[in-house]
Parts: sequence; structure tokens; C-alpha cells
Amino acid sequence: MAALKSCFHCGNTAADCVHAVAGDGVARSFCCAGCAAATGLILAQGLERYYAFRTASDQAPRYEQRNWSIYDRDRALRSYTHVREDGERELSLQIDGMHCAACAWLLNKSLRQLEGISDIQVNAGSARAEIRFDPTRVSLSRVLESIYSLGYDPRPLSFTPGGPPWLAERRTALKRLAVAGFGMMQVMTYAVSLYAGALDGIAPDLEQLLRFVSLLVSTPVVLYAAQPFFIAAWRGLRMRTLVMDLPVALSIAAAYLWSVWATLRGRGAVYFDSAVMFTFFLLLGRFIEMSLRNGFGLQQDAIARLLPESILRISDAGEERVIPDELCTGDRVRILPGERVPADGEILCGRTEIDESLLTGESVPRARQAGENLIAGTLNLSNAVDMKINRVGQDSTLAAVSRLLERARASRPRIAEVADVVAVWFVAGVLVLAVIAALYWLHTDAARAFPTVLAVLVVTCPCALSLATPAALAAATTQLARSGLIVMRGRALETLAHADRVVFDKTGTLTFGQPVLTEVHVLRVGANRERCVAIVAAFERYSGHPIARAFAKESPAFGVSEVSSCAGSGIEGRVGDQRYRVGRAEFVMDLCATAAAAPEPAEGRSSAFLGDTAGLLAEFVLCDALRADARITVHQLRNMGLEPLIASGDRPAVVAGIARQLDDPQARSDMRAADKLGWVRALQARGHIVAMVGDGVNDAPVLAGADVSVAIGGGTDLAKVSADIVMLGEGLAPLAQGVNTARRCMRIIRQNIAWAVVYNAAAVPLAASGWLQPWMAAIGMSASSLVVTLNAMRLLRPPNTAAAGSDVPHRPPQVSPA
Amino acid sequence: MNILYLLIPLGLVLVVIMVAAFFWAAKAGQFDDLQTPAVQILLDDDSKPMRHDRKVRDA
Repeated sequence: MAALKSCFHCGNTAADCVHAVAGDGVARSFCCAGCAAATGLILAQGLERYYAFRTASDQAPRYEQRNWSIYDRDRALRSYTHVREDGERELSLQIDGMHCAACAWLLNKSLRQLEGISDIQVNAGSARAEIRFDPTRVSLSRVLESIYSLGYDPRPLSFTPGGPPWLAERRTALKRLAVAGFGMMQVMTYAVSLYAGALDGIAPDLEQLLRFVSLLVSTPVVLYAAQPFFIAAWRGLRMRTLVMDLPVALSIAAAYLWSVWATLRGRGAVYFDSAVMFTFFLLLGRFIEMSLRNGFGLQQDAIARLLPESILRISDAGEERVIPDELCTGDRVRILPGERVPADGEILCGRTEIDESLLTGESVPRARQAGENLIAGTLNLSNAVDMKINRVGQDSTLAAVSRLLERARASRPRIAEVADVVAVWFVAGVLVLAVIAALYWLHTDAARAFPTVLAVLVVTCPCALSLATPAALAAATTQLARSGLIVMRGRALETLAHADRVVFDKTGTLTFGQPVLTEVHVLRVGANRERCVAIVAAFERYSGHPIARAFAKESPAFGVSEVSSCAGSGIEGRVGDQRYRVGRAEFVMDLCATAAAAPEPAEGRSSAFLGDTAGLLAEFVLCDALRADARITVHQLRNMGLEPLIASGDRPAVVAGIARQLDDPQARSDMRAADKLGWVRALQARGHIVAMVGDGVNDAPVLAGADVSVAIGGGTDLAKVSADIVMLGEGLAPLAQGVNTARRCMRIIRQNIAWAVVYNAAAVPLAASGWLQPWMAAIGMSASSLVVTLNAMRLLRPPNTAAAGSDVPHRPPQVSPA
Repeated sequence: MNILYLLIPLGLVLVVIMVAAFFWAAKAGQFDDLQTPAVQILLDDDSKPMRHDRKVRDA
């Protein structure tokens, strides 16, 4: 393990660090060429201070080149940007891979060096950037490309006036909070004067003035700031459920109306202070929770990125790549394998398999053929098909789903489901209790009836109970996001905390999933080793096969023509006058007339061959190496009581080799997805809670079958949609940390619920028996909500037992509400 | 105590002004990003040329 170095740019540990000298003559080690290039660019622009100020490591930038030219189309400019009065254009971007303020700074400084960009505002919190540029001096594609080359993944957003919906939500919440806060300060001053006056005596006209002013100040607080509670309570009533907000709304309304009546009448006690304080503290708790939820911008525009960046449109004029916005009803488009469907429509010709898990949750791909419907955002898995567009944009199913999600997000988070069921009974109990207390006090001491009922309603406000779970989950989610784990489903954390078996997929999970070229054997006397590698490198540029990636680091020195690939066997083409084949031994040897025996493949490794018409030239031994942090992660998980298991589709010898390096966990080989699923089910039948970690490409059914699924970042979009938790970056280290945080989260939820129950059990009898004044009840309930929220915030601190072996610096804890 | 008849309405006017100022700030996006600007000031490039200047002067 001593040989492990961490990458200067992304912090990933890798055994084979590339030592590169970037610009200023200082040798630094990098895990891949992508990181080295990003650092080189940053240093060349004189922005090396970025490394001193960043508080979290980067994701490794993706290595492959991307073609951004689709964004140079006029229509792209019109769709994604917005013309300002001075002729410049404004562009909104969602930027993946941003994690701290130093990234914002880096983007800002770096992009300002591009000519034609006049202003750039980067928001690190929401991972968005607003850019103002002059399209005559710098093209849209150039802007995107420069962001990409720094190691970020930009995605232009359609221009929405006023920013994203959650931003408007946040601003409104802040305004309500301000009204309630300023109002509370005023009303409390008047209330203290009134209480003092009640003890020491006060001039009646002055008392009346204070009460009228209190009324004046409380009115906007109740009518504007407390609106969300009334709306939620009313919506709940209309749907015939008793929601948490109902007693809240009742107590605010009752306290306010009673006080208004008392003020107008000129006698009786007023409770403006209780109503206003109650509103403010509740809003504060909600605001903190909302900030935690929105703190990480990644899930915000998840739907938007389900549409492809560009799509092949076929018209009489020919084929043309267009952006999805350009499509109209009736257009004919071709969807290649691996591409997403751009709009709703129907297949004209061809048959393929479509992954519709995004809409149906069903992870098994569906076969679709001519005449059948395709839905926007679904993924074409196997063959190219032509489709006719029927519905685009706002009419599409995807837009409808997105609207549903938006609505769901605006209301209470889904994760509070269980709490809501409890809440119905709780609320019913509170209302019954309040009525009983009212009846009792009306018969014994009518003057104390109203304050007692109000105190009961206020003190039992179930906010501590209703905040207990969501606040902790939100804080844990935020903390995990900082360490590179994105929780897609709230439930996942609970299951992860309880899991006792972890099934790892091998390829792409425990290993890099990409074969690395380890040895080259020249098979013909006189053949040049470098030349052979260069020829294969040139060939593999044309292949999407995973093996091709092993050669991506080698530079192709030849032009290849007449390339044709033979699925499952290899690729054939011409360099100069000579025909070559690259691939399996049998396939390569078919090219040569004289038959010879194919060499025996060695155990536990795979080989590719290069040959020409005269026979085999060279053998390339490829090996899929274990991830640097796999060993330590497996070890840590075992210490936490999670038994690691390996399920692999690979040959027994390879799997055994990997298992040996990981201290021999139980490992099964030669498993197809169905076998893996069967194994997971068998474990579950024995009462185990199973977490599945996979790269998601062919593991989707297993991921769905496990109690909790974790997909590793390098996986496809498909996995990101179907897994419960997605690990960003390359590496397994966040996994152990994730389990740790999930367990801490569950502990804090239990503490919170225990606290809320104890508090209510103690406070309710006191209130019902008339011992508590409404203002005491308001303070008690606010304090209990704040205790719960602050307790949840402890999760934002990084765990003490940070995953060893990773040099990823932690972000400092932040306890501010935003 | 008659002064209260002036001070209390005055307090109200101040509250209205405060709320109005806060509303403007929220609408103008002052509270949208509370992380980046706090660090931005530390990251600004002004320290580098200064160090350079001093060296030149010292020499």
C-alpha cells in the first residue's frame, strides 16, 4: 500500500500514478491524463491558488474528448440563451463536478480570460453559473468546452426568467421569515411592557395603544408569514387527512382571533406574542430544513438531463444533428444505441430494447418495435431505430413527470411518510385532548378555559416530532453529498444503516472495469513492438469496446481506412497497403490463409491479438486491476459488521484472484444478472439485509432487487436513475463513510424521536391542567424544535473515523442555516 | 410617558423600512448564495502583484 499516491488534481489514490511535470517545472503525480491536463490548464492560466483554497477534491475529469459543436447551431443559441438589451447574451448552466467555493472562483477566473465573456456569476451552492457573453466574439461551444476542459461537466439550461423554482421558493421563505422575525421583535417589546404593566399598573389608554399596535404588527405576520401553515392545513382537510399543520394553524388562528376580539372589546388577555413567536420559530425550523434539502444542487435539474444533448434528424434534405428543442411534431429522428429518446413518439422502423426504468421503475429492458410508442428520456439499449415525433417539450410525458416532481418537492418531503401516518393519530389525539380540557375548564373556571386550550394546542405542536426524521435525513444527505455519495431515495439511508451483507460486483466496481495493457508479446520475429501498439491504438479509436480504452493512452501514429468491426470478435481495417485485424485470436487468424493453432489463453487474464495477412503479429495482455481503495474499504466494512461478498460474471480463476487480494470474502463467479439476483434473494430469505454495489450497466435488475443499491460513478446514466445511492468519482472509499453516516443518522433520528416523545409526555399534562401560560408553551415548543434541528445538524460534521487511505480533505463543518 | 405616543409609531415606521429593505435584498438575490462571496474576497488576486511590487521596491 506504500506505493499508493494520491492524484494532485482529484485526490484519488492510484497505483499507477502518471508523474507529470505541469508547466512550472514541479513534478506532480496524477491518476490519469485527464487530471494532468486539467491541472496543466489551471497552472497555465496562473490560477494555481485554486489548489490552496479548495476545500474538497475534484472529481477526475473525464478523459474522452467531447464534441460541443452542436451548440453552435443558431437554434441552440436561441434556446439556451437570452438576448439582453445591449446585444449580449445570457446563459444559464448547470455545472456538474462543482463542490466548493474554490471551484466557483476557478471557473470565474478562467472564463474571464476568454475574449467575449463580459460577466460570469458562479453559485457554488447550487452548482449553477450565469454567463454573459458576446456571441460574435466567442461561440457557445467554446464557452462550454473551456468549462469541460477544467474538469467540469456543463449543461446549458433553457432560459427561465427568475431562476429555478426552488430559488423563488427560498426567497419567499426568507421574506416570510423576515416579516415574522421583525414582527416578533416588536410584539415581544409590547408584550413585555404589557406584562410589566399588569404587575405594576399601566395607564389604560397606553395599554390600549400597546394592544392596538400589537394587533397592527401581528396582522401581517399571521396573514402573510403564517400562510404556509393555513394552506397546508386546508389542503390536508380537503384531502380528509389530519396533517401536522392543522393544530399549528388552529392555534395561530385561535390566538390571533381571540386577541383581536379582546383588543376591540378592550378587555381580556391578548396572545399576540404567542402567535407571532410560534410562527417565527416554526418558520425558522422549516427554513433550515429547506436549506438543507436544497443545499446540494445536483438533484435539481435531474429531469432536464435525461434528454439527449443532440439527436440525428432525418429529413428530405438529409441527416443532421439537432438539439431536442428544434424537434417538431412529425419529425423523423434516428436514435442510436446508448442515446436517450428526445421526445414522445412512435417507432417507424427497427426493433430494439428500451430501458424505461425512469418512468416505470421496472429495470428489465422492454423490447420495442415498429408501431410501438417511445417515451422521452428513456434509454435505447441495443439497436438504432427511427421514430416519428408525436409530442415535444411541455406536452411530453417527461415534462409531466417533472411537473409532478416539482409539486412533490414543494410540499413536505416524501421521507416523512411514516411520520405522517403517526401524525394523523397524534393530531387527532391533540384535538380530542384540547376539547376535553376546554370542557373541563369551562365547567370549573371559564376564564382559564381559553388560555389552557391554547397552551395545549401550542405545546403539543408536533413540530419536534415531524422535524425529527426529515431534519436528520436532510443533514445526513448533505454530509454524504460532500463526501461524494448522492442519496437518491430517503429510505436508502435507513436500509444502508441496517445492512449486514454487501454484495460487490467485480468488474467496474472492485476493479476499474477497464482493462489496462500490462504486457505485449511480439509473436513474429522482426516485428516492432512500438509499431504494433501504435497500429492497435489507431484501430481502437474506431471501437467502442471496453478493451479499446486500454489503448487510449497510446498515441496512434497511423491513419486507418476501410474500418469494419465484427461484433464480439474484433475489428478489421487497412493501414497503408496492409490489411490488419485486431481482436480474438481465431478472428485475427482467419485473415491469414495458412491455418495455425490459436495460442492458449492464459488463466485469469484476457488477451487481444494483432495480425495481418501473414499471421499473428503480437499478443496484448490486458488485466483489470483492483481499485486502489477496494482493499481498505472491504476491510472497513467488515469491521463495521458488514460481510462483503463478491458476485461476478467473470471466470472463476479471475474472481478467485481478486478475492485473494481482499482477504478472501465469499465469492461466486460465472454469474449472470439472474443468478446474482437469485443469490441476493436467497440472502434476503435468510433474513439478511443486503446492500448491492455495482456499476449498474448489467446489474440494474440486481440493484433493484437488493434492499439498498449503490451505483458507482463511472456507471451509465441508467444506473444513476435506478440506484438508491450514487457514488460520484472513482473509488470505493466513500462507501464506508456512507455506512458510518447512515448509522449516525439513524442514531440521531432515534434520539430526536425519543426527545420529542418525552417532551410531549411531560408538557401535555402540565398544559392541560392549566399550569402553562400560552407564551411559556410557545417557548417550550420552539425550544424543542430547535433542539431537534440542532441535533440533526451534528451530522454535518464529518465523522471522526474518516475513511483511512483517502487523502480527500474534508470540507469544514458549517452550522449556518444556509 | 407621552413620548411613547411618538416613539411607538416611529418604531413601526422603522420596522416597515427594515422589512422593505429586506424584501428588496431578497428579491435582488442578495441571499441566494451565501457561500461563494464569503470566500471570493480571500481568493481575489490582489495579493500576488503586491508581493511582487514589494520585492521590486526592496531590491
